[in-house]
Amino acid sequence: MEKTAGKHHRAAGEWVWHIARGLILAGLCFIILYPLLYMVSCAFRAQEDMNDPTVMWIPRHVTLDVLRETAQVMDYGNTFLRTVLLNIGCSMIQVAVCALTGYGFARFRFRFRGVLFAIVILQILVPSQIISGSQYMEFRYGLGLQPLMAEISPQLGSAFNLINSPLTMYLPAMTGNGIRAGLMIYIFRQFFKGIPRELEDAAYLDGCGPFRTFFSVMVPNAAASFLTVFLFSVVWYWNDYYVSSTFFTNNSTMALMLKNLDTEISKMLTGNAAMELSAREQIIWMEAGCLLAILPLLVLYVILQKHFTEGIERSGLVG
Amino acid sequence: MKLTYQKRRSLYGYGFLAFWLVGTVVWFLYPLANSLCYSFMDVTPGQGGMEGSWVGLKNYRYIFTGDPYYTQYLTDVLQETALKTPLILVFSLFVAVLLNQKFRGRAVARAIFFLPVIIATGPVYNIINGDLAKTGTADAGQFSTLFSTDLVGELFQFLGIYGLDTRIQSGIEAVSNDIFGLVWSSGIQILMFLAALQSIPASAREAAQVEGATAWEYFWKITLPYVSPMVLACLIFTVIDSFTAPDNLVMGRVLALQGEWQYGYASAMAWVYFTIVMAALGVITMLMDQFIYYEVE
Repeated sequence: MEKTAGKHHRAAGEWVWHIARGLILAGLCFIILYPLLYMVSCAFRAQEDMNDPTVMWIPRHVTLDVLRETAQVMDYGNTFLRTVLLNIGCSMIQVAVCALTGYGFARFRFRFRGVLFAIVILQILVPSQIISGSQYMEFRYGLGLQPLMAEISPQLGSAFNLINSPLTMYLPAMTGNGIRAGLMIYIFRQFFKGIPRELEDAAYLDGCGPFRTFFSVMVPNAAASFLTVFLFSVVWYWNDYYVSSTFFTNNSTMALMLKNLDTEISKMLTGNAAMELSAREQIIWMEAGCLLAILPLLVLYVILQKHFTEGIERSGLVG
Repeated sequence: MKLTYQKRRSLYGYGFLAFWLVGTVVWFLYPLANSLCYSFMDVTPGQGGMEGSWVGLKNYRYIFTGDPYYTQYLTDVLQETALKTPLILVFSLFVAVLLNQKFRGRAVARAIFFLPVIIATGPVYNIINGDLAKTGTADAGQFSTLFSTDLVGELFQFLGIYGLDTRIQSGIEAVSNDIFGLVWSSGIQILMFLAALQSIPASAREAAQVEGATAWEYFWKITLPYVSPMVLACLIFTVIDSFTAPDNLVMGRVLALQGEWQYGYASAMAWVYFTIVMAALGVITMLMDQFIYYEVE
C-alpha cells in the first residue's frame, strides 16, 4: 500500500519535472531563435511596413526588393566567392596542420616538449590585438625582405608588400598560426591522446612509418573530430573581421561587407535623393544583410549538425 | 647513420611539429617580443619597419597618471567579467544537464542551442543586438511590455517576497534583462559541458542507482566532481573570450591608439591588461585546483 503511494508520488514528480523542463527549454529556444525570426520577418518586408505600428511579425507587403538591393550593395556573388576561397582554403589547411601538430604533441617524446606546449597555451591566451601590429609590419615589408627587393626592382619590391594579399591569411594558416590555431592544436592533442595506442602499434608492426600511420590509421579514425574542428574553423574565419581588416585596406570579405553595410546602404539610398532614412527604417536592410551573410553558415550547419551534435563526445573536447 | 629508436621517435616528433614551429617563431614569438619592446619605446612607423627610441617606463607611467580613460575602462571591464563569468558557467552547466537528459525533440533542442556558436563571434551578433536595442526590444523589458507589466516585480509579489533589498532585486533584474546576452554567449560552454557530461562513465551512474541516490544527490556527488575539470576550462575560456573581444572597452582603446600609430603606448596598455588578467586567472586556477576531481587513469 505504502509502496504504490510512493510510486504515484514519484510519477507525479516526474511529470512536473517534464513539463517544467519543456517550458524552460522552449523559452530559451525562443530567445535564441527570436533574432533569427526577426531577421527573416524584416528581410522580406517593404519599407513602409517599418512605420506601420500594426506590423509586428508578419509583414503587410511581402517583397524581395530589400534582399535584392542589399545583395547588390554587398556585391554578394563576388563577396561570397572571395570569402569562400579565403575561408574554406585557410580552414582546411589550418585544420590539417593543427592535426599534425596535435598528433606530434600527443604521441612523441622529445626535448622541450613541455616548453613548446606551454607556447601553445600562450597562443590561446594572447589576444591577437597584442601581436597584430608587428605582424602588420612583417607583412608590409615582406618579412624584412621588401626593402632589399625594392633595390633590385620596384616590381619585385611591391610584390613583397603583402598587405591586401590573401597570403596574409594563408601563410599563418599554413604554419598553424591562423585564427585560434592554438585552441585547435589543443583539441587535437586531447583527442589523439584518447585514442588507444594498439591501433598504431599494429600499423608499425606492418611496417608503416609514423607519417603513413598518421594518414592511414589515425586520420580515418578522427573523422568526427575533424568535422567538429573544421566547422569551428570555418565559422571563425567566416566571422572574422579583425584580422582581415588589419591586413586589408579594401573591404572584401563577407564579415567586412556586413560591418560597413550601414554606410554603404545610406550611400546607396541617399544617392537616391528623395529618401530620408531613419535608423528604424534602415533596420530592414541591415537585417537582410545579416540574413545573407549567415545564410551559407546556416546551410552548412544544417547539413553537418547531426554529425556535429553527436560527435561531441568523441571530438576530444574533454581532456 | 644508425639512430636509436628513441632518437628516431623524437626526430619524428619535431617532424610533425615542423610547420607549426616555423610559424610560431615568425608569426607569434617574434611579434610578441616586438610588442614587449615597443611598450618601452616611443615608436613611429618608418622605412622598412618601426623606428623608435627607448623611453623606459614612460608609457607605463602615463597609463596610470595621464590617460583619461584607461583606468576607468579597465575597472569597468574587470567588473563586468567578474559578474558575468559565474552566471555563464552556472547557466551553461544547467542547460547542459537538461540537454543531456532523454526527451523527445532533444536533437532539435541541441541544434538550436548550438546556433549561437555559429553566429555569436561575428558582426551579425552586434547588429542584431544593436538593432534590437534600437527598436527597444533587446531585453526582457520588451517581453514585459508585451504584457505591459513588470514581470520580475510581479513574480516576487506572487511568490510573496516583499521588501526585498533593492540591491538584490536590481541585481536579479539586471540578470533577467540580459538573458539574451547570457544565452547568446553560452554556446561553446554548453557544448563543452555536454561533452564532459557524456564522458561520465556508466559505472558511476549504475552505482548511484544501486545506492538509491536521488537526482539531487546524483548532481552534487557524481555530476559535479566529474565535470569539475571542465568548469575550470570553461571559466578560462569565458574570461579569455570576454577580454579579447574586439568590442571590449580596453581593447577598443588599444585599437584606437594603434589606429593613430601610437604603437608604443598601445602595446604598454595591452601588456598591463594582459598581465592583470593572467594574474587573476592564475589565482583562480590555484584556488579551484583544490576542488577539482581528476580521475586517475
